Amino acid sequence: MRSAARNTPDHGTGAGSGDAVTEEPDIEEHPESPGERTVAFRPIRDDEPDPEPASRPSGSRGPLPAPSAPASSAPASSAPASSAPAVETAQETVAASGDAASPEADDGLVRPAEPDAAPGDAAPDGTVVNDTADDDSGDGSLRDAPEEPSAGVGGEEAGRPESGDGEQDAADVTDAETAEEDASDDDRVRSFPMPEPVSAALTEALNNLRTAVKGLHFGLDVPGSEEARKAQAAVLAQLDDYVIPRVHMSTAPALIVVAGSTGAGKSTIVNSLAGRKVSATGVRRPTTATPVLACHPDDHEWYARGDLLGELNRLDEPTRDAPPGSVVLTSSPSLPRGLALLDTPDIDSVVEEHHEIAHRMLDAADLWVFVTTASRYADAPSWGLLRRAKERGARLVIVLSRVPPKSRDVVVKHFGRMLKEYGLGEVECFVINETAVREGRLPEIEIADLRMWLSALSVDDERREAAVKTTLNGVLNSFRTRLPALARHLETQVALRADLRSDVDGAYMGALAGIDEATRDGSLLRGEVLARWQDFAGSGDLMRTLQLRRGGKGHQQGPERVRGLRTALRTGLEALVNSAVQQAAEEVVTRWRQRAGAGDRLAATPGLGRPSEEIGRRTTRTITAWQDHVTELIRTEGVTKRSVAKLISFDVESLSLIFMIGLLGYGATDAPAGAGAVALPQRLLRGLLGAESLRNISAKARSDLRARVGLLFDEETLRYVDALDSAGIPDEAAATRLYQATYNLEVAR
Amino acid sequence: MTAVSTAETQHGLGSRLAALAKIVELGQGRLDPALVTEAAQLLLRAGDRLKLSSDHTVVALAGGTGSGKSSLFNAVSGLELSPIGVRRPTTARTHACVWGIDGAGPLLDWLQIQWRHRFARASALDKGESQLHGLILLDLPDHDSIRALTDHEAHRLIQVADLIVWVLDPQKYADASVHRRYVTELTGHDAVTVFVLNQSDRLTPEEQAECVADLEDLLRREGVAHPRVVATSATTGKGVDSLKAVLAESVAARRAAYQRLEADLDRLVQRLVKDMPELLRVEPTVDGARRAGLVDALCDAIGVSALGEALENVHAVRSADWVGWPYARWTAGMRPDPLKSLRLGAVKDDIRGLVASSVTAQPAEVDNAVQALADGLTAGMPEVWRDGVREAARSRVDELPEALSNDLAEVAPPLDRVPAWWWLLKIWQHLLVVMFAASLAWAGAILAYGVFKAGRPPAEVLGDVGVLPWVGLMMISVLGLGLFSAMASRNFVVLAAGKERDRLERDMRRRVGVLAQDMVVGPVERELDRYNEFFGAMAATRR
Repeated sequence: MRSAARNTPDHGTGAGSGDAVTEEPDIEEHPESPGERTVAFRPIRDDEPDPEPASRPSGSRGPLPAPSAPASSAPASSAPASSAPAVETAQETVAASGDAASPEADDGLVRPAEPDAAPGDAAPDGTVVNDTADDDSGDGSLRDAPEEPSAGVGGEEAGRPESGDGEQDAADVTDAETAEEDASDDDRVRSFPMPEPVSAALTEALNNLRTAVKGLHFGLDVPGSEEARKAQAAVLAQLDDYVIPRVHMSTAPALIVVAGSTGAGKSTIVNSLAGRKVSATGVRRPTTATPVLACHPDDHEWYARGDLLGELNRLDEPTRDAPPGSVVLTSSPSLPRGLALLDTPDIDSVVEEHHEIAHRMLDAADLWVFVTTASRYADAPSWGLLRRAKERGARLVIVLSRVPPKSRDVVVKHFGRMLKEYGLGEVECFVINETAVREGRLPEIEIADLRMWLSALSVDDERREAAVKTTLNGVLNSFRTRLPALARHLETQVALRADLRSDVDGAYMGALAGIDEATRDGSLLRGEVLARWQDFAGSGDLMRTLQLRRGGKGHQQGPERVRGLRTALRTGLEALVNSAVQQAAEEVVTRWRQRAGAGDRLAATPGLGRPSEEIGRRTTRTITAWQDHVTELIRTEGVTKRSVAKLISFDVESLSLIFMIGLLGYGATDAPAGAGAVALPQRLLRGLLGAESLRNISAKARSDLRARVGLLFDEETLRYVDALDSAGIPDEAAATRLYQATYNLEVAR
Repeated sequence: MTAVSTAETQHGLGSRLAALAKIVELGQGRLDPALVTEAAQLLLRAGDRLKLSSDHTVVALAGGTGSGKSSLFNAVSGLELSPIGVRRPTTARTHACVWGIDGAGPLLDWLQIQWRHRFARASALDKGESQLHGLILLDLPDHDSIRALTDHEAHRLIQVADLIVWVLDPQKYADASVHRRYVTELTGHDAVTVFVLNQSDRLTPEEQAECVADLEDLLRREGVAHPRVVATSATTGKGVDSLKAVLAESVAARRAAYQRLEADLDRLVQRLVKDMPELLRVEPTVDGARRAGLVDALCDAIGVSALGEALENVHAVRSADWVGWPYARWTAGMRPDPLKSLRLGAVKDDIRGLVASSVTAQPAEVDNAVQALADGLTAGMPEVWRDGVREAARSRVDELPEALSNDLAEVAPPLDRVPAWWWLLKIWQHLLVVMFAASLAWAGAILAYGVFKAGRPPAEVLGDVGVLPWVGLMMISVLGLGLFSAMASRNFVVLAAGKERDRLERDMRRRVGVLAQDMVVGPVERELDRYNEFFGAMAATRR
């Protein structure tokens, strides 16, 4: 079976692929002849009968038993097992080809087509060899990929080759039994094992990359974030739909995506090639809403199983209201084997979902067939698509359709010149004249060239591989720019978030500094506080605070004035804090509004432009707590000078009030003792408590006030942080991970 | 009839445009800048277009590349004026064909049509085409080719033409480049938009019917309520006459220019209104309750009532030095002073200095008071305008505390002021003290001379013991009088201080009210006026 697979290239490519055969010595080491294949297969199956014969190979571990194993020996152990499904496919293909058209007929088609074939053919031998080797790796895992589309985890599971093999064998048993009948005429199988370590590394790199891309989160709506999200989704879809399956598979069947403007005749061309109406045509625009995949009946099952485009629903019939994310699967014997045509919705009609579907299909394509018309070839969207193909390095073929025969030369020449100016002069171009369309099909003569070219691709594995490889490499190359662009955008978001955060902090720091300033420059000792203080001092209560000890108990002073002063002081401080908070809130919003995009939108969050609802209550609580704390400080730490204490007792509450007035109203309480005009409260307090003690208490009281107000502000700040967080927290490490994953992918390739 | 309706339209359009100008003026900085720019451009365009020939109707043939604009242009004009070709894009510069060139020159200049691309249908050629007189037909370059990415001529002319004929073809009629960029953007332009399905010769009649139905359906879904679709074929000439008829109708009505501007205006107003759903008029004046609230808050910021209380208390205390019973004062002075033992003798002076300091307003509280007013007023207003009112209220808030302090210092006497009658009472008390001392001396003299016969009294009355009870009585009454007048004057002090306090608070409130009106309420009311004016204009731009 193995050898049969390997024989195929020689056979299929005929004279053209002699190189490929000589380039695969390690494979050649294994039993080669069709006869030996069966022998090689059976012993393994017999040796290890699986305990659970019914289970399907549930992972991709089989074909990649040990990453460290030398490339040459790996196939020996895994090839018989892994090649089974491939063989099966191949055999089906062969069987069908036996039915429909003889291999000779295929060959007959191929040969004349070759001279005008794709540039991929012209690649030097080395390239071809490399490609083949890579394809082999794809082949190695081909067998499990169909079983479990989401797998693609080859290398990491290498640690359990035994069980993997066991399961594999079980599958082989079932597969082999179906395959058995066709086993003899097995001259066309496309699978080659890929050098295992490369495959494992690549698979792992791709999986890491997928995780890294998936981990990106663009929460902030800055300019470009919508694009970034789309790009992220596109990369993910492409990884899932195309890249990961593709590196695990052979180059066949290859997926050819037919894309282009609405009304360009994509469906008509697909119908014509399929030889029957597989996709609806008509005068209504846009015509095709659900992509239609047309392949040879032999490949039908392979596509139905879903590996490429694994995320999409398979439908049998095009329906009017097919859910988005589905693809219609049909087959026609007129199509060459090993190729599938995918008719896509348009790229430029008024139905914008179509553009997305089309682009997603193109991302999964091995080959792009771009269809445009004589009246459309200068359209901007068409050239956007061509630019994309160029960026992605995709293998591209252009069909210029609906060309009026009389102006054919002018149009073709002009279009050719435009392509050349655009750097696409090398691209193959097919011209289809405008003719009557019958039953949604063009006359055979118009598409003969195209059909010939397709058939050539179908039979000539090497050319097809080259084409597929070109596209795959192009996609991987495109990751070099697309992924760093994503990472850069994420970094922008991280930076922006940091900026927004610092805006908040800045505003509230400013507010705190403002409060500090106001409690030092005496602006607090104004208005009511001043009046109450005047009242308190002027009415003699201040003096009455102090009592001579020997003067007896004396009379308790009227508490209203103390209480009035205390309340006034609290109100004044509260007003100061509230005003600062208000300004800070406005400042944050103003600063955020100046930040492009996200800041703008966040600033519009209701309530952010003003302080929180409960700020008044909280401020009152904070200030009251501070006042109590200061009273406590005076009580406990305000050790009265001994000389004074003998003579005078004082009311702690009043004294703490005097202290607060001195601290906040007159500013620096801790002014050096020698300074000239020291304010009244300080002099009084210094006389009572001593300079040292006063300085200590002042420092403590001030830092305590700062801390309490700071805490209050922190609670306010939380609202902004919440608003920021609700937009999503960009992970700084995600960008780094993505860079790393991109780099690892480059290394693994 | 036509003339009358045109005049009406013009008048209506004129006043709406004036209102739009108002919106642009007032909306500066309050509306989306892009929208304001657009509105300004529309005003400019409307001004230009209305100045230029109203006898001409500018009809633009617009469409994608290859849809046959030039062919149709030639078919309508009946001449091979615009080159047609198979290369795409074909037409790079706009061609114009004018039916009735008189007066069209400035209009064509304004449209920036190059001289060599202007063609006039001389009247000699116009046999049977008089109904098209006044038509300026423009053949635009395409808007969807790669050339159009850098050349915005088509886009520019689509924005300014009076009537737009979208030339579509069976292949491209559903292109996003037409529908997304123009048709959906120009909804409401039904009256000045015609859709032509060109190249209908490529379709069978059944296909054509299906195609037209599909196109009409699509257009309706996009908000074109009554799409006018004409199927034509420039090559066979089919349908060209129907198109001409449609054009002739528009040209004859001479209203397309106004209709276009009106439609543009409608569209713009819709977008303006979208940002501010409710057109809410606010009370243009600050009502009494809010005004009183503001004054109260400002008074609190100054501490008016505390000041009054302090005035009462301080006066009561200080008056003791002046109008009090001197003996009580002297006794109190004999008590030991705790300050002395602290060696803080100057504290009294400090207190005096403190009490002498003047009235001031606290900035933070002033700020909060103004903020509260703005918040109360703007409830329910759109965010930008709330900010505007707040800005207006705050415009002079930095000067306000200073101004309040300065202004009120004039009415608020320093607390250590001494009224003149205190002096009188002080003199009176001292007079009484002197009288008491004199009586004491007299009594002593009587005792010495009259009782103890220490010598010959210098005067008769000094030795007369019989007078002694009278002298004693006098001493007691002098003391009593002192005490009584001290008590009485204390009551007067309290009464006067109460009166002073009332006067002070009244004066201060009045002055605070005046300042608040000047520095806060005035700017706020001006802003509220602007707001009402803006929304008046907004309502006026709507039909």
